[in-house]
Amino acid sequence: MNSKTETVIEVSALVKTYGNVKAVNQISFDVIRGEVFGMLGPNGAGKTTTVEIIEGLRTADSGTVKVLGMDVSKQTRAIKERIGVQSQDPALFPTLKVDEIVNFFRSLYKKSIPASKVIELVALQESRNVLFNALSGGQQQRLSVALAFINDPDIVFLDEPTTGLDPQARRAMWEVIEAFRGTGKTVFLTTHYMEEAERLCDRVAIMDHGQIIALDSPQRMIEKYIKESAIQFKMTNYPGEEVLTNLTSVTKAIKEEDDIILYTNNIPAAISALLDLASANSSELSELFIRQATLEDVFLKLTGKRIRD
Amino acid sequence: MIAFTTVFTAYFRQFIRDKGALFFTFIFPIIFILLFGWAFRNPGAQTFTVGLVDQGLPQSAAIMTQGLDSVVIDANQKVFEIQTGTMDDLLPLLKKGDLAAIIVIPENMDSAINQGQPINIQVYYDPSQTSNQQILIPILNQVINGINQYLQGTSPLIGMEEKSVQSHNLRYIDYLVPGVLGMSLMFSGVYVGLPIIQQRQARIIKRLGSTPLPRSMLVLGDLALRMILVLLTAALIILVGRLAFDVQMVGNWWELCGIVILGTLVFTSLGYLMAAFVKTEQAAIPILNVITMPMMFLSGTFFEVSSMPSFIEPVVKILPLTYLNDGLRQIMVAGTPSHSMTTDIAIMAGWAVICLAVTIRFFRWD
Repeated sequence: MNSKTETVIEVSALVKTYGNVKAVNQISFDVIRGEVFGMLGPNGAGKTTTVEIIEGLRTADSGTVKVLGMDVSKQTRAIKERIGVQSQDPALFPTLKVDEIVNFFRSLYKKSIPASKVIELVALQESRNVLFNALSGGQQQRLSVALAFINDPDIVFLDEPTTGLDPQARRAMWEVIEAFRGTGKTVFLTTHYMEEAERLCDRVAIMDHGQIIALDSPQRMIEKYIKESAIQFKMTNYPGEEVLTNLTSVTKAIKEEDDIILYTNNIPAAISALLDLASANSSELSELFIRQATLEDVFLKLTGKRIRD
Repeated sequence: MIAFTTVFTAYFRQFIRDKGALFFTFIFPIIFILLFGWAFRNPGAQTFTVGLVDQGLPQSAAIMTQGLDSVVIDANQKVFEIQTGTMDDLLPLLKKGDLAAIIVIPENMDSAINQGQPINIQVYYDPSQTSNQQILIPILNQVINGINQYLQGTSPLIGMEEKSVQSHNLRYIDYLVPGVLGMSLMFSGVYVGLPIIQQRQARIIKRLGSTPLPRSMLVLGDLALRMILVLLTAALIILVGRLAFDVQMVGNWWELCGIVILGTLVFTSLGYLMAAFVKTEQAAIPILNVITMPMMFLSGTFFEVSSMPSFIEPVVKILPLTYLNDGLRQIMVAGTPSHSMTTDIAIMAGWAVICLAVTIRFFRWD
């Protein structure tokens, strides 16, 4: 980070407890202007609580959060003028038209971008006069994301912005996010899609059990945590993770539903050992392929879970 | 102010797109008025011809005649036309419907009066005639009360004229129109809780929470819309009552607006109170029915509270709609008060304050 970096979100020693559960347990991190900051974690990891505290929707038990230099617990209104939020479910007035919803949100802010630009952003021009409850799930989702940009915010918080979108619409959404970052603004992204995080995020934080267990750029994170390649396959007569981990050259074996993943630095030796095991065990191997490690593997390794609903 | 207008406009648009809400707000009360007004119409039945069997007692007959004559519609029209005769003469006339009632002065009435002893006057009437039950019997009761007071010297005979003036020409439709207005204010008010519950359940309120919009605007915008709607409803109901059944709004329009707004506040706070405790729309619908249905029937919307069985009376006496209906009736058609206006206003205000206090304590936006 050079001298030009400016911290736009500063979280320090944040704690939030629900009953006996520490949803957020002493987390601290900074978000820099102009970056796409990703937050990943299994369900119940504390992501949503953290994000909602930053957005001023919840209050923390202790710790401080500064957004654009302002204290979230004190200057909530001023912060809300300058951030944009897309919540996970596209919850909007069911019997208002797209145009009406856009103008409703525009008039809540001191500063806003023209309605037509908002609608073009997510290609809803042809649905301007359609009631919200008559839109398809994907259209509702797109409108919900567009509204997060309506006040030309300094920071936009996107929570699963591409859930329910077809691949084409998802790529279009990625372009919107990248264009926004291109103007020097900041994106705080929560997502389940590792591919999305890898493509969009400058840095990602992985959260589990209320704590941040890793924070780095996706590439460095992969290099740091997984030096091996991955062999992924399905097999009958599954012998157990322990047996697979003990195979020659295999550093770790993980079973995720039907998929088994072996991590290794010596692919030929590991495959050879796997084939021997399979024939001795009368196991059938299928859908076997070798790939580079991804963020998904990092996540799996660190949390023991796949990121999924 | 922009935020307020924005919320108000959004709620207004949603309201006019909600067919059910439109129906219940505007059509439903009109249907009630037309239906009940037509079913219980009694054209020209503002005067009654009653038979008087005096059994040769001049003193009692004179008192009774004087009492009946004192009940007037206006200076030159009396409510009762008296036809004297024997029971044998009069009874066939009653059965034919020429007489509304026969009043029989007991043989020993003169002596009973002079000795100050209690005595019952017999009244024969046909209870299947609605106008009799609704109007005639209450008036006769007042006449007899008046006579009693006169005889006891506690009140001059002229005193009952005032009392009678208020109920003399109250037809059923005059009674009904304020009741239907009260009922629609109740529905409009209590149902305010539903959109809040729906928006909270659908997380719309949470979504708005991340904008600079103050949440109080959601309440203010909605309340303003309700106020306009109830005033429109009131105007519509009064207009239909007037055009279809010539029901005159005799009171002061400002007083009427005041009581309409107070009534709306009472029932909207009841609606918010419900929203403080009920989390889902699915649960809210039956609860709304439990709140509104008994009130609709027990609070003197369609039938006089006094015609209810006495064991229901304690319930009737705590329901806010009882007092709203009573207040509306006093203002709109100069109906006989069941309670003083002060009582009506005080009890409604009490309801509003209690509901709001509990709501503020327990209401959650998320």
